[in-house]
Amino acid sequence: MSVTTPTAGTISRPDLARLLAGPAADGRLVAPVRTAPGVVLFAPVRDPGALTLEYVNSTVSPKGCLFPQSEKILGWRGGGPKLDLYSPPEPQPLVLFGVRPCDLRAITVLEPVFGGGYPDPYWRRRRELTTVVGLGCTEPGPYCFCVAWGISPVAAPEADLMLTPVDPGYLVQSQSPKGEELLRRSGVSLQAAGTEPAVLRERRTAELTARFRRLIDPTGVEAAAERLFDHPYWRELARRCLGCGICTYVCPTCHCFNVIDRTAPDGSGGRYRCWDSCLFERFTLQASGHNPRPTRAERLRNRLLHKLSYHRSRYGLEGCTGCGRCVAACPVNIDITEVVADLKGMMT
Amino acid sequence: MKEITLNLRARAMELLAGGRVDLVIGYGTGSLPEFVRPVFVDRPERAEELIFNPLCAQNLTKYILDYRDQPGRVAVVVKGCDSRSINQMMADGQLDREKVFLLGINCPGLADPVLLSVAAGRRDWQVEAEPEGFRLRWPGGERLLPRDEFLMYRCRTCEHHNPVVSDVLLGDPILQGETPDRFAEVRRIESLTPEERAAYWDALFARCLRCYACRNACPACTCRECIFDRPEPEWVARVVAPQSNLAYHLVRAMHVAGRCVDCGECDRVCPVAIPLREINRKILKELAVLFGAPTPGTSHPAPEPLATFAVTDPEVWL
Amino acid sequence: MRGNPLWPYLATIVKIVDETPDVKTFRVVLDDPGARENFRHRPGQVALLSVFGQGEATISISSSPARRDYLEFSVRRVGRLTGVLHQFEEGYKIGVRGPYGNGFPLEELRGRDLLFVGGGIGLAPLRSLINYVLDRRDDFGSVEIIYGARSVADLCFKEELFKVWPKAPGVRVYTTIDRPEYGWDGHVGLVPAYLAELAPAGAGKCALICGPPIMIRLALQELARLGFSPERIVTTLELKMKCGIGKCGRCNIGSTMVCTEGPVFSLARLQALPPEY
Repeated sequence: MSVTTPTAGTISRPDLARLLAGPAADGRLVAPVRTAPGVVLFAPVRDPGALTLEYVNSTVSPKGCLFPQSEKILGWRGGGPKLDLYSPPEPQPLVLFGVRPCDLRAITVLEPVFGGGYPDPYWRRRRELTTVVGLGCTEPGPYCFCVAWGISPVAAPEADLMLTPVDPGYLVQSQSPKGEELLRRSGVSLQAAGTEPAVLRERRTAELTARFRRLIDPTGVEAAAERLFDHPYWRELARRCLGCGICTYVCPTCHCFNVIDRTAPDGSGGRYRCWDSCLFERFTLQASGHNPRPTRAERLRNRLLHKLSYHRSRYGLEGCTGCGRCVAACPVNIDITEVVADLKGMMT
Repeated sequence: MKEITLNLRARAMELLAGGRVDLVIGYGTGSLPEFVRPVFVDRPERAEELIFNPLCAQNLTKYILDYRDQPGRVAVVVKGCDSRSINQMMADGQLDREKVFLLGINCPGLADPVLLSVAAGRRDWQVEAEPEGFRLRWPGGERLLPRDEFLMYRCRTCEHHNPVVSDVLLGDPILQGETPDRFAEVRRIESLTPEERAAYWDALFARCLRCYACRNACPACTCRECIFDRPEPEWVARVVAPQSNLAYHLVRAMHVAGRCVDCGECDRVCPVAIPLREINRKILKELAVLFGAPTPGTSHPAPEPLATFAVTDPEVWL
Repeated sequence: MRGNPLWPYLATIVKIVDETPDVKTFRVVLDDPGARENFRHRPGQVALLSVFGQGEATISISSSPARRDYLEFSVRRVGRLTGVLHQFEEGYKIGVRGPYGNGFPLEELRGRDLLFVGGGIGLAPLRSLINYVLDRRDDFGSVEIIYGARSVADLCFKEELFKVWPKAPGVRVYTTIDRPEYGWDGHVGLVPAYLAELAPAGAGKCALICGPPIMIRLALQELARLGFSPERIVTTLELKMKCGIGKCGRCNIGSTMVCTEGPVFSLARLQALPPEY
């Protein structure tokens, strides 16, 4: 077969269902599902009709597909002088559909954490086996601020296949061999695009940027945060913090984890990597009883500084992608955009 | 509610200026009109930050635990449901009544933010209470919403419109009619077959993130070291899995059994909308049916069915 | 599993020495010959020891890298994992991941006179360097060791402390215990006080210090008084670690990950970091 699939073109709404039908039938499709009033979650979907396209973004980020909430990293049998280690089963290939540009950027933000000096084979394997289908935004959410970090809400390079809604269908751009493969297997053929994709993206980015409810200017926040490390602001802010893990768990770039062993009665068992939150009291608690971050003030400051400063200084990438989920989900209205404005305001 | 706000500010200013309290814990406006947040007012000039509006759902009594070991007194804004927590904290030996000054609010009912968003078709609204209902305003529109249809879930079965304990009452006393059945949903779940019930809860707990917001927001969770934070022994696996999620919620429900005042915070804070209140309400129903016990915190002192033995107890053995 | 930084090497415990009532030194040999060959550590580096079923703990490698056939870890029993490890016998398997961390700055120490200040189990990472220095004696200047513990029983590495090190060329060992004890006619007093008494001149010397936080704090003040410059005072921090490879986000002080950029820090570098350790 020498027919080359064009890498950009449009498809119709019914084509989208056909694109996803194969993976859905194979049990390999993860897509947004309306789970409860006000709650949209990425979940396995057997029937493409069950997924929702009526969402600005999910309540919890899709990072769990590449970095699961709990993941077995090894197992052992035996104990004492006779012990064998074994590998967990391979992850399944997945098609992850409906990932917004803020969450696509988050993949790049996390890449140096899990790649980098000691490459993490679990992350790497899941990235290799997951075909990410991005979905550009048509309206900014009430708490979105991706453009403040220079992220376009229309498209992102991390997707294997990038979809941009162009009523009544979608502009499709395949950005990797995996994206090509998904297209080819589905048998969906692309129609010629009406507009040059790059032109469309630029125009729409400008259009959407004007409609953001509020935008921050994070210039200088890194320096401000460093200067204000000892300021009583953090203690004041932490008064209302509950010390739960909501912000960290809905966030697409939070990556802190714990490593926990579980044993069966016969001594065999497994080691798991599980999400953890730097806001939990025992996060840095040492066996001796000493805790370098003993109160919510230090812990909250640490998380916010990680997002606004530390990640950038370590990896040259902004730690926050402006998805706004923490703003929506925090039960006590700790708002990172407000923190940015406060920090900058205190410097003048 | 506007009048309540004005009175609240005046009272707070008085208390702080007079040195009767060192801190007033109340509600203030959030970063956007659709949010409110807890505020900690430590100077009379800051009393202006206090508000009371239909979004003031949070049970602020939890914060008392942060200040009870420090010298001085704190004032806390409490609605009817929150005030039950005060009684319960005293019953649990967690609070010295002298320590708190209670700014009681006679609350006509709060609005459900999810329903308001549906009514407006968007999230960026603001809401005010009016005598006829909730006035919802958003860019380019407004509606007057009938109160009964847009109340928060917990308010629809409100047992105490007026605080059961307070030092001062703000707002007009509200006539407490008959409380609608709080256990209707519990009965519905009870009527399912065991298989249906298992499927119902399994599906809900499958999306639990173990963020522990429910525990952290709960005023009955007062343990200095929580059992779920102890890695040795690991009573409930910290690894997220259907069994450990179920175990976490059931163990927590049992630990607050008899002390849960049905304030509804666990439900409100859950980021994935698991209806946690129904677990606690199941236990409350059992307490009501087996022991004739009112909701914990309704009065103080109060009989504590799970902490007392009487020969008339329903169980034959202990 | 090669290429997997979270996968431990299996190792067998070949010898256990009771150093003190709550400290044991475990001598382990990595099972896989390839792993044995490739595991080369620098003094001051750490490893994450797996007690399968309990988890992992970050422990300094207390043996010198010049001694190639084994690794030694001196572990204090403080909690659940170390409690179980202390019940292990020779022949038992543990897991080892590492070596991690930056280790002591050997290049800066070469040719210099060295002062080691240790308290309690803090001598463990220092021991790796002391033995390394003695294995390459000509590369370093004079060695002074000031070490103390609560009591005689709590002194670690007694064999080396009393028999081996004092006999090595150019090495002077000063040991102290907190309170007088029957049968001990050595120095009595806390380490920082002993340091002040001995008053070693700081010019040109490097000080390497490890012990309980309060001891470090007081000793640092003393070292500053004695003329040691902040760049030449080196300590190793102890923080909770779970991955050891800069991913789990736990061991940061500001934007510095202690597992990859520490745990060895000069005082000068520490002073530039926020006080969250």
